[in-house]
Amino acid sequence: MNGAGKTLYRWTRDLHLYLGLFVSPFLVAFAVSVFFLNHAKVDTSAVSSIATVRDIAVPAGMERTQGREAVDLARKIVDQVGVTGEIGFVRYLGKERRLVIPVSRPGVETVVDVDVSKRTAVVSRRITSVMESIAYLHKSPGPHNAVLRGNWFWTRVWKWLTDGTVYLLLFSSVSGLYLWLTIRAERRVGLVLLGAGAMTFVAFLYGLAI
Amino acid sequence: MWNRQVHYYLGLYFFVSLWLFSLTGLLLNHPQWALSRIPNDANPEYAIAIEPTSGDTDLARARDIVRQLGLKGEIDWPQSAQAPGRLDFNVTFPKRAMQLSVDLREGRATVRQIDRSLWSAVRITHTFSGSRYNTPGMYRDWLLTSMWVTAMDALAAGLLIMVIGSYYMWYQLKTKRASGWIALVAGFLSCGWIVFGLA
Repeated sequence: MNGAGKTLYRWTRDLHLYLGLFVSPFLVAFAVSVFFLNHAKVDTSAVSSIATVRDIAVPAGMERTQGREAVDLARKIVDQVGVTGEIGFVRYLGKERRLVIPVSRPGVETVVDVDVSKRTAVVSRRITSVMESIAYLHKSPGPHNAVLRGNWFWTRVWKWLTDGTVYLLLFSSVSGLYLWLTIRAERRVGLVLLGAGAMTFVAFLYGLAI
Repeated sequence: MWNRQVHYYLGLYFFVSLWLFSLTGLLLNHPQWALSRIPNDANPEYAIAIEPTSGDTDLARARDIVRQLGLKGEIDWPQSAQAPGRLDFNVTFPKRAMQLSVDLREGRATVRQIDRSLWSAVRITHTFSGSRYNTPGMYRDWLLTSMWVTAMDALAAGLLIMVIGSYYMWYQLKTKRASGWIALVAGFLSCGWIVFGLA
């Protein structure tokens, strides 16, 4: 290895180490939550607390708005009842003049059920376990209702962090590949494992996607 | 030495899978990207006669219908109760989704089939587990789904082993210990704040 090669090796090794250490808690969170997402069952009907809040000011036009505009107006209601988090959606039940607003954040799932005529809101909270919180984050912000997602500041922060996790993970894997290639004695075994992993992947892909 | 070998052997074995989950994770995080879109246009629906179904439960009858029609995939059961004399359910796997509406009295199944591109199917594999933790009564019932879930578990376990092994290897490097602590604590604080600080 010449001078430039040594410099490249040292830089790659150090970046692999430090960026890997930084991203490792995120990897642990994503990896641990895989077991929960694949195997756990949670009774989401078990509510931790229910409270009724009166004299709610319902923003004008709330019944007619949809999409992101409805979420922005719903935020004004949610703020009044002291709830913070990502608003899932806003459902208006016309006959009953009710608004149903589910709000999520790590650790708490809340449903704010507003009676527009009486100007009252029933706030049902469900405290979630640490594992469920991490699983929630694993899926957040997620592909559904894309227009609505990121209506809470911390959801947007999490989205940046998860993007960062992916980019750092890709860097770690490529830099790891380079570091392995510098060890001549391990090349054969490594190639066999790389090939075996690729074959396993292709076999699953064939079964699931063909 | 063995710890280092385990680290890169696992990394090499899971290299392709890790890239699959990383890239599809990015697509899930950015549904507005053109690459992320999954078309849901169904083919023209068709009706097909079925023989009287066997089985004591709706699920057993659904399985019998799936067998009769020669379909493959995970049975996705609706949350609402079934109407008397009818069975409505989906049979899905990443490449295809089939919506079945069965009239048990008439002995007729109406099938809506949605075919997906290979790219869309790859993206769907990220979340294809046949189970949702917050949906009671939804369980895996296709062998290939169970195998795929085992593969996902293995990848997660492999990652955890790699992370734990990397902590050990880093800690052996005395000259890198202090700077490593800074990187590790920064990671724990930023991740921990979101997981615990917002609760």
